[in-house]
Amino acid sequence: MLAVEHALNVTAARVPLVSVANVQKTYFTRQAPVLAVASASLDVARGEFVSLLGPSGCGKSTLLMMIAGLEQPTGGSILLGGSEVKEPRREIGVIFQDATLLPWKSALENVLFPARILKLPIEVYRERALELLAMVGLAGFEHKKPSQLSGGMRQRVAICRALIHDPDILLMDEPFSALDAITRDQMNVALSEILETYRKTVIFVTHSIREAAFLSDRVLVMGGRPSTIVLDEKMPFERPRRFEIEETPEFVRVCRKLRLTIEEAHSGLPSPQGSAARERAGVIK
Amino acid sequence: MESAGLASNGMGAETGAIIASPTTSTDGLSGLRSTALPLGLAAIVLAGWQFAVTIAHIPPVILPSPASIAKYIFAHYDILLMHAVPTTLESAAGFVLATLLGIAIAIIITYSQIAREALYPNLVFFQLIPKVALAPLFIIWLGIGSQSRIAFAVFIAFFPVVISTTAGFANVEKSMLRLCRALTANEWQIFTSVRFPAALPYIFSGMKIAITLAIIGVIIGEFITAQAGLGYLIIFATARADTEISMAAIVVLCICGLLLYGLVALGEAIANRFYSADNA
Repeated sequence: MLAVEHALNVTAARVPLVSVANVQKTYFTRQAPVLAVASASLDVARGEFVSLLGPSGCGKSTLLMMIAGLEQPTGGSILLGGSEVKEPRREIGVIFQDATLLPWKSALENVLFPARILKLPIEVYRERALELLAMVGLAGFEHKKPSQLSGGMRQRVAICRALIHDPDILLMDEPFSALDAITRDQMNVALSEILETYRKTVIFVTHSIREAAFLSDRVLVMGGRPSTIVLDEKMPFERPRRFEIEETPEFVRVCRKLRLTIEEAHSGLPSPQGSAARERAGVIK
Repeated sequence: MESAGLASNGMGAETGAIIASPTTSTDGLSGLRSTALPLGLAAIVLAGWQFAVTIAHIPPVILPSPASIAKYIFAHYDILLMHAVPTTLESAAGFVLATLLGIAIAIIITYSQIAREALYPNLVFFQLIPKVALAPLFIIWLGIGSQSRIAFAVFIAFFPVVISTTAGFANVEKSMLRLCRALTANEWQIFTSVRFPAALPYIFSGMKIAITLAIIGVIIGEFITAQAGLGYLIIFATARADTEISMAAIVVLCICGLLLYGLVALGEAIANRFYSADNA
C-alpha cells in the first residue's frame, strides 16, 4: 500500500498537476481590445505552493480566474490533472480577497456551504468543519455570524470553507490584502501551519513581495505590458517556516531580487504618449 | 427599509467586534417611552375631539364624538364583525396573490433579459394609470362577486412587491455569485441559498406596502358594488347620513388593517430569526 502510494507520488511529481501553456486573455471593450495576459506558461507540481507576484493590473488575478475556470482564456490551454479546464471544477477551492460569507449563516454553516452545494453528507462534514475551525483558532466561534467576527477571522472561515470538500488545489486571489499589516502577518503564519496539516497545491496571487517569499516554494513575477511571466524563482527556505526567516539575509536578498525584477518589468512600460502614438499608427488594434 | 434587523443583512458585513457584545433591545425606560408617547398623543387628540364636539355642539351627522362611536361599536359589534370578515378575507387573499405574482414577475425579470426589457417599461407605464379609475372595469370583467374585488386588490398591490423583490435579487454581491460558480452551484442552488435569503428584507418591505394597498383595493371594490363588507357598510351608512356607523366601520377597518399588517410583520420577525446578520 505504502509502496503504491509512494509510486503514485513519484509519478504525480513528474506530471504537473496544473499545466498552463501560452495562455492569453484579451478583453474586448467598447474602445479597444485590452490584452490582459499576453502569454503565460507555468507548471505547478502536486503539493507545491506557487505565488503569482506583480503590481495591480498585471493580469495575475485574471490568470488565476482562468485556472479556476471562472474566466475563459482567448488563447492557449490550461490543464488540470491532464484534462482541460473549461468551467469551474469541484477539485478546485477558491479564496477571494473578500471572505464573501453568507451574513445570515454562522461560521460553521458558512464552512459547510460547499458541502451543501455539492450535496455531501452534512453529518460527516460537520465533524470536519469543526476540526478545521479549531485548526485555525476559531473554536468557540462556530455559531457566531460573520458580523461578529473580525476581518481576519472571517478570512479564516473562508479558508476553512475552501478546504471543507478537500479540493486538490487552492487558488487564492489576494486573500489577505484587505487585512491590516499585523493581521496579515498572522494570517501568513496561520496559512503555512494549515498547509502543513492539510497538504495542498496552492496558487497564490499577491502584490506583497514579503508575503510571496514567506509562503511560496516558487514565486512567479508577472509584469510588463503586455503582461507575461518575467521570473520564476525558487524560494530557498526550509519548511516549516516561522516568522524569523524574514530576518535572515537570504530572505532579504530574495526579496530584493523580486523587487528589482518587478521594477525592471515596470520601467520597460511604454510611456502613455508612446502607446498613443502606436495606436494612431495602427499597431494596437 | 423598515426592519432594522433584516436591513443590516447586507452582504458586505460591517467590520464587527471580535467578541460579540450581547445586543439588548430597547431598555425598559425607552421602551416605556416609545409606547407612552404615541398613546399619550392619541389620547390627547381624542380628548380634544370629544371636547370640541361637545363645546361647539357639532351635529353627529357632521362629526360624531369618539365616545358615541365607541358606544356604537360595543353595541353593534356583531354587525361590524359580520362586515369585517369578508373585507379582511378578501384583502388577505388579494395580498397573498399579489405577493406571489410580484415575486414571480421579479424572478422572471431577474433571470430573463428579454422579459426584463419587454416587461419592465410596460409595468412602469401601467403604474402611471390612476388605478382606481380601472376599478369599475373589473366589475364588468369579473362580475360583482369576491373575485373582482380580489383581482382589483392584486392589481393595485403587486407592483411594489415586483420593484422591491427585483431590487433584492440584485442585492447579491458579485463575489458571492462568483464563489457559487466556483463551487459549481446550479442556478436553483444559487437562488435558494443566496439570492432569495438576501432579498428577504426587500421582499418584506414590498409586502408591507402591498398589504395596505390590498385593503384599499378591496374597499374601493366594495364601494362600487358589494352586498357585505366594511366598504359597503361605509357607503350604505353615508348614503343615509348615518355618520356614526361610517366612523365605526372605519375604526374596525383600521383594526383589521393593523391585524393584517401585524401578520406580515410577524412573518418578517420569523424570517429574521433565520436570516438576520445578527445573532439571535
